[in-house]
Amino acid sequence: MVALPHTVHARHEIAFDVDVLFGALPSRNLDASMDAVGEQLSRHGIARGLLCSLRGGLFDACSGNDEMRKVTEQTGHVPVGTVDIRDALTAETEIARMAAEGVQLLRLFPPEQWVEPESPGLRHVIGTAVAHGLVLLTSGDVSRYWPAFSGTRVCFLDVHAYKVADFVVLARREPGFVASTRMLVGPDSIERIAGEVGAHHLAYGSRAPVHDVMPSALRLRMSGLGDDEWRQVAGGTATAWLEDVQ
Amino acid sequence: MIIDVHAHAGPWFFSTDVGTVDVNIRLMDRYGIDLQIVSASEAVTYDMVSGNRWMAQALAEQPRLLGYIVINPNELNEAERELERYADTKRFVGVKIHTTYPALPLTSTATREALGMAADAGLPVLVHTWDDSVLSLVDVLEQHPRLRVIAGHMGGPAWRTAVEAAVRADRLYLEPCCSVTDRDRFRHALDRVPVEQVLFGTDSTLVDPAIALGVVMDAELSEDEYEHVMWRNAADLFGIPV
Repeated sequence: MVALPHTVHARHEIAFDVDVLFGALPSRNLDASMDAVGEQLSRHGIARGLLCSLRGGLFDACSGNDEMRKVTEQTGHVPVGTVDIRDALTAETEIARMAAEGVQLLRLFPPEQWVEPESPGLRHVIGTAVAHGLVLLTSGDVSRYWPAFSGTRVCFLDVHAYKVADFVVLARREPGFVASTRMLVGPDSIERIAGEVGAHHLAYGSRAPVHDVMPSALRLRMSGLGDDEWRQVAGGTATAWLEDVQ
Repeated sequence: MIIDVHAHAGPWFFSTDVGTVDVNIRLMDRYGIDLQIVSASEAVTYDMVSGNRWMAQALAEQPRLLGYIVINPNELNEAERELERYADTKRFVGVKIHTTYPALPLTSTATREALGMAADAGLPVLVHTWDDSVLSLVDVLEQHPRLRVIAGHMGGPAWRTAVEAAVRADRLYLEPCCSVTDRDRFRHALDRVPVEQVLFGTDSTLVDPAIALGVVMDAELSEDEYEHVMWRNAADLFGIPV
């Protein structure tokens, strides 16, 4: 059996995972149901997820958001809405509907929806979300997609260890830019970002159930962050988003 | 016991401070890795001869590291000399062939010739695999009865194809390190490929070993699987006494 490397007990519970999905995955034979996701999070010591519907991202935003609202009411996870950037017109009303219902976060799927960084629809959706006070989460390469998000509060969910320098130079002038830790896989990626621009530019994300959770959780638990920095990444950043919006 | 069969030594051009061999050892100590088989990042990304020379010097000073002789299929004559130079030193136990930096796909004639040279030298080869061309290794193995190939990263995004290839070729080994940790990817391999063909690698020091160890933990290996994957298969393949 694989023994867990010694980790500090205080670092077992991760308060918030900012990158959680549920629904169905056409590209995989995988149980992505909410029951499976909940079990995966619980088994890995993750208290709450910022939860978005795969149905909303991959098929139909409106019914996906309805599904997401129902599930988050039942489970206590934090609701995250989405829209289809390819249909920026429908997105206007969908963003307004979600904001009126109290949803505070909007997740965008530009690569999954084949949306280029310079897409007018992407800029319009971001502008509409910001006007409604929403915090954004997005997939896509930060080095390509960042211009459309300039000036916003956004978490880039796909920042790779290879892009640490790009993210740091962006975060120096973009106070609202945050990187998910999931692919910050280098031996000093997380620590370097925290040291350069502060741990408030980082948030833990796993992409359950699409990805294994232990790699990202173990990397964070074994990181060289100080205790305050660790708590910030493991939940503080997401908490601040929710408090700021309320 | 843990033997990491896919690691690097030396600096990288990304924003990360991993230039010295001390970083390898520190990370090995942190995660309980006993031995690591490394290639010089310089030899992989830039200069095969200079990088291998640096690696030989580092290996002479660090018994917990063993080496891959990096050969660049663009320079087959020089690659032959590199194999002659280091194959009998006992500190290099395998050959590393990348496909990205030489800009030659697995299916290229030059890469196939380089694989044949490694077979003639009697050394296992770690090959960078990142797409469906991993399936072409089945043909190469049929052509070279002495060849043993490790599909580094287990095909990357093409991991399902890599598993198909390993099922068809018993001298094809899978090593799954990857910064994108698709759920159940490793379990998918373990459930289909003979356990003797599955290895453990981290991509350290480019990648923190927590990522590969996390993948293994989520795959919930049995004791038998653990023993084979984490060290026994590597010891057998590379002739490492344990």
